[in-house]
Amino acid sequence: MNTKRLFAILTASALLVGTLAGCGGSEDASTSESGGETGTVKDVQVWATGSDNVRQTFEKLVSDFNANSEYVGTYEAKLNFILSGTGGGTLADQLVAAYKAGQTDTEFDVVDLGDDDLTKILSLTDESVLEDLDMSKIPNAEGVTAEPVAAKGKIQPYRGTTVILAYNSETVPEDEVPTTMDELVEWIKAHPGRFAYNTPGTGGAGDSFVRTSIYNFIDDDSALMSSDPKWMEQWDEGFAFLKELHPYMYKSGSSVVYPNKNQGTLDLLTQGEIDMCPNWADMVLSQRKAGTVPEKIKITTIEPSFTGSVQGIAVPSYSGNKEGGFAFIDYLLSPEAQTILVQDMAAIPLVTEGVDLTGAEELMSMDVSNFRTQALGDLVTDLNARWDEEIGTLG
Amino acid sequence: MNKTNARKRMLIGYALVLPAFLVVMLTVAYPILSSVIMSFQDGKTGEFTLENYKYFFVTESQLKNIGFTLYVVVVTVVLAIVIAYLLALYLRFVKSPISRAIGTLYLLPRFIPGLVAVYAMITIIRDTGVINRIAQLLFNYDFKPAMMYHASGLIIMNLWFNIPFAALMITAGLGAIPDSVIESARDVGASRMRVFRTMILPLSMKDVVVAATFVFMTNVGSFTTPYLIGGNSPKMLGIALYDQFNRYLDYNRSAALSVIMFLICSVSAGIYIYTNLKEKEWE
Repeated sequence: MNTKRLFAILTASALLVGTLAGCGGSEDASTSESGGETGTVKDVQVWATGSDNVRQTFEKLVSDFNANSEYVGTYEAKLNFILSGTGGGTLADQLVAAYKAGQTDTEFDVVDLGDDDLTKILSLTDESVLEDLDMSKIPNAEGVTAEPVAAKGKIQPYRGTTVILAYNSETVPEDEVPTTMDELVEWIKAHPGRFAYNTPGTGGAGDSFVRTSIYNFIDDDSALMSSDPKWMEQWDEGFAFLKELHPYMYKSGSSVVYPNKNQGTLDLLTQGEIDMCPNWADMVLSQRKAGTVPEKIKITTIEPSFTGSVQGIAVPSYSGNKEGGFAFIDYLLSPEAQTILVQDMAAIPLVTEGVDLTGAEELMSMDVSNFRTQALGDLVTDLNARWDEEIGTLG
Repeated sequence: MNKTNARKRMLIGYALVLPAFLVVMLTVAYPILSSVIMSFQDGKTGEFTLENYKYFFVTESQLKNIGFTLYVVVVTVVLAIVIAYLLALYLRFVKSPISRAIGTLYLLPRFIPGLVAVYAMITIIRDTGVINRIAQLLFNYDFKPAMMYHASGLIIMNLWFNIPFAALMITAGLGAIPDSVIESARDVGASRMRVFRTMILPLSMKDVVVAATFVFMTNVGSFTTPYLIGGNSPKMLGIALYDQFNRYLDYNRSAALSVIMFLICSVSAGIYIYTNLKEKEWE
């Protein structure tokens, strides 16, 4: 009875989503008709995808570009946003389709791409899908050292986020805040039950802690970017290390517990049940700004660092307005745009000069060029399964 | 003329049933069938294998998960039914403003979204939650309930969801026992205890069993509560299934575990059907 009703609801919502996706499609078509040149001001079609907070930030960026940037009067940006998970073709699919159809003059002037989308597009096409970045047209990119996971020279990183160490500044005095992994381990052992990381596979922070803990024992830095099963043989030392840490983790009712989800450990931290945990920089900072995480919670980075990711933006080779695309990329790296990214998304800025870091001062000291990125591919599944078997069951 | 009319009516009947029939076939029968087939297939070769099932009955952690799930569910069923039964008796036989107020209020949990309820419960039972704060305030004692991440937390949450549901069913059953029957028994000298043992209990037994089977089935596959309140090991089967499906991407084992859960539920479904049939016999 219940399942039947559930399916009825599912069917109804699927139909609704279908209808909405249909509307979205026709809207796109109308913009492309009205687009193109309007006098001397040329349109730049900006494409982005993600959740609703990304849409809000992009709307701000686009309207700021059109109102205040140095390109006012030359270009007018138009936002095309694809909300993730609403059916229809994803942005990556559309880009691949346009490439395979051999189009040359499209409305895809400049596109925002995360690691996943970028890898997907490159796996279905080749690097010629993206235009080489013309650095002379992106003067603001000078001094940006962060690098994309792939297609270097074709995609420009413009913001980042990383897993950091979040701690309670009231219980952890400043001189005790760890700066290296070794110091962190020392601190954990000296303060049993005051540290927690979330179950890997339920949130990126726990994933990052477990993966870096294991790969810190592998000398080859490229291992973190490889899905080659040969690295599995070298996991033993890392797992032994996690096992050694296990008895010092957060306890509830005399048994060690790993909470689910990033929010699980963050809640323990804000409730004062633990003093330290790995978490996402943007998650902690945006919740601190909203007031759900108290001011006493601070963030810091350690050496070797946890992993993070950079978000990039690129001009497809079949863009109808490449110059405009580069202009928008240049704008994204301006202090004004970076300020919007910091204030709205708690993103880690790639340009710090002239950027207003109020409320997120800790970001200042974070060096994005030091981000470790990771791409373990299918190995993640085996790694999580092994963690569940060997660590999760220790009790 | 009459014949064609009858046939027409029959066809209309089928036409009316058809959409529902197709939906059930497509969304219930077909997925169950394909799950069963998948559970006997090797993930890579697609050949027949029993490995997917063997995994759940040989791996120690998975056996613990099954045992833990049965423990949590059985304790939930027993406690929920006992408490609900007492509540239903009170609501049925005590007529006072308080009982009427409780009669209206006890259904409230059914109208609160599950996720909200779980988070509300977490704020109360976590080691720094409401219970802990009250203990510190009143007795200056740092009492840690140790319910979060443990079976006791899961059970208390399950009771919150299931007592109102079970009480609703049992109250309906008790309501069907006419006052006149009880009064006449009392008139000929039966004690309260005897009325309860020989009349009320047997007459409401069917509803108790039905409520118990429903509580059992809904809890075997529960997800939200164990995901947010449960620990890492052992896990409820709903989470173990999520692991296989979403984290290990092992669809054949997921199918096998689904079938195992389905079979566990069928035991309770069997009892439910049996009780219903027995009822028919009495009639």
